[in-house]
Amino acid sequence: MIFNINDIFEESFVVSNNTHQDFMQLSQDKNPLHTNEEFAFSKGFKGIVMHGNILNAFLSHFIGECLPIKNVIIHSQDIQFKNPVYLDDKLSFTASVSGVFESVNAVEFKYYFKNSQTKIVAKGKIQIGII
Amino acid sequence: MDTNEILNQVQEIFRDQLDDETIVLTGETTADEVEDWDSLNHIMLVVAIEKHFNVKFTSNEILSWKNVGEMMKCIQEK
Repeated sequence: MIFNINDIFEESFVVSNNTHQDFMQLSQDKNPLHTNEEFAFSKGFKGIVMHGNILNAFLSHFIGECLPIKNVIIHSQDIQFKNPVYLDDKLSFTASVSGVFESVNAVEFKYYFKNSQTKIVAKGKIQIGII
Repeated sequence: MDTNEILNQVQEIFRDQLDDETIVLTGETTADEVEDWDSLNHIMLVVAIEKHFNVKFTSNEILSWKNVGEMMKCIQEK
């Protein structure tokens, strides 16, 4: 097994305007919280809030592109959103191997995203299979 | 842990993983008799069982199981 408990992987991601626009095009979620600054201010946010599920796309990138092997498939993932992400936020991503299940070639990661103020904005678990 | 207790706990894991509260397992139950017990769910079940009972199986052990009873025997022997 190529993965060992507590192996750590780190990446960084930026929620750029292109990312935001592309995600809106894909999801067709144009809720005012994501598009109308005045609306977002009125709800107590510092600006328009990025779609939380953009982070799921980053997770997809991590699993598909950043691991040392490409023969992987996602079995399951969960995510908890802890703090808002704003346009142009730079996020640091850390994933650690929390479970290795050699009998079925599965690996579990715990992960979190932090913003530049080192606040956790999202965290969760992903289980992958090695195919 | 006795066999009945293991069976009850394994049954709960099956119900949770397969989203089916009607599943009733016996030692003789096979994958063919449980709807949705397919190859992907089999992986999820094994992972959930390894976590729950804090055991590790080998791939040879898993391949040798012909029914739930053989799985339970393997848990008991760990």
